[in-house]
Amino acid sequence: MKKHLILPTSIDLVRIAPERIVYIASDGNYSTLVQTDNEVRMLSFQLGQIEKMIANQLGSDGNLFIRMGKSLIINRSYIYYINIPKQKLILSDVATFNHTVSPSKDALKQLKELLEKEIKS
Amino acid sequence: MKHELNDIRDDQIRVIGESLPERKFPRWGVWAVSAILALVLLGLLVIVVRYFGDRRETIKMAALRAEEPAYFEPVVEQSRLVIEKQVAADTPIWFGQRVDESLPGFTEMKDTAINDIPLRLFIPHNASMSLHIGKVSKTDSSIVYVAQAADVRADNGGIVGAFVLRGEPKAWGLSKKGFCASIDGKVTVGVAENSPLFEKATETGGYFFRQYPLVSNGQLVENEPKGKSVRRAICERRGEIFMVESGTEESFHDFAQALVDLGVDQAIYLVGSSAFGWAIDQDGNRYQFGDENYYSRGRRKMPKNTSYIVWRKN
Repeated sequence: MKKHLILPTSIDLVRIAPERIVYIASDGNYSTLVQTDNEVRMLSFQLGQIEKMIANQLGSDGNLFIRMGKSLIINRSYIYYINIPKQKLILSDVATFNHTVSPSKDALKQLKELLEKEIKS
Repeated sequence: MKHELNDIRDDQIRVIGESLPERKFPRWGVWAVSAILALVLLGLLVIVVRYFGDRRETIKMAALRAEEPAYFEPVVEQSRLVIEKQVAADTPIWFGQRVDESLPGFTEMKDTAINDIPLRLFIPHNASMSLHIGKVSKTDSSIVYVAQAADVRADNGGIVGAFVLRGEPKAWGLSKKGFCASIDGKVTVGVAENSPLFEKATETGGYFFRQYPLVSNGQLVENEPKGKSVRRAICERRGEIFMVESGTEESFHDFAQALVDLGVDQAIYLVGSSAFGWAIDQDGNRYQFGDENYYSRGRRKMPKNTSYIVWRKN
């Protein structure tokens, strides 16, 4: 069976296939999970805790996700457009959803380099 | 955790699930750090050797004085009990989860073990307690928990102990000191020879019944009946009302002690053994206990004054 990411709290639980996550953004002590069906779900975890859960539960499959700075985890499958000077990253499946996020320019530069490096290797 | 949350800056990225890249460190730095570490270790070794040299005699004496583990009278059980008590005291204020009041009523079930006695807790949510005399309909979907309440008199078939059904007194006996009342939606469990709640229940259309007292103000209450059986109780702990069922056959004493160790403040008995009842969980699943066909098999006839506590959805 395909691995699901399970995010349990004391009163509820979210179980979601990793590929259904577009990105997770930090929102103070909470985090906001944006799904491929455009649903947005508030999670009572800090982003660092979610990063740890992804790493623990998905292991090497967790490399689907990239932590970008303090306040963003993105699904690399949906990286569609990077513009460093405009500080713009568009996450899209080029069909049903299109989300723009703004990590730091340095983070975007590193992301661009990472993707370019992957072409070469 | 704090460190983990802050170990990335806004100008950094990290692929999750991959180990962090090794940081380049100059070779001279490695030698310098190694040398410092070696010196620190050497210093520590000297201190440890001197310390243990001085303390050896003291430790030897302490070992002789230390408590020795006994085979027939182990102290382990006692210390475990203390730990369990601490766990009970440290547990959250209520055992039950917080539930949105708009949700339909249900019974939350939680399993635990105290003093090696498996216990199942039935915590009703968004439900009110009433009493019922006679067979309870299994098809009544408003019910989230049912268990037999008061005992039936063996001599005349009446109800043992005082009993008020929707404001109407059905029995007046005082042979049992434990009482439970449900008045205007508030459930009270207690132990007293006389309780004003009997009168209040009659005046306000409430419910009241009596049973064996098990725990009073956090203290165990001893009871006459001996023997072992599956035990049930209705309890109050820090204002939370819930029912408990033992997973094994227990004496009154051991069951009451387990409730005390669970941190229960007040508890009275509910008919145990094969007395039939059920609970409905949040997903609508039914958990039955006791023997449903106890009175339909053979020549046994269900006493007409068999009474039940019934929790219904608000």
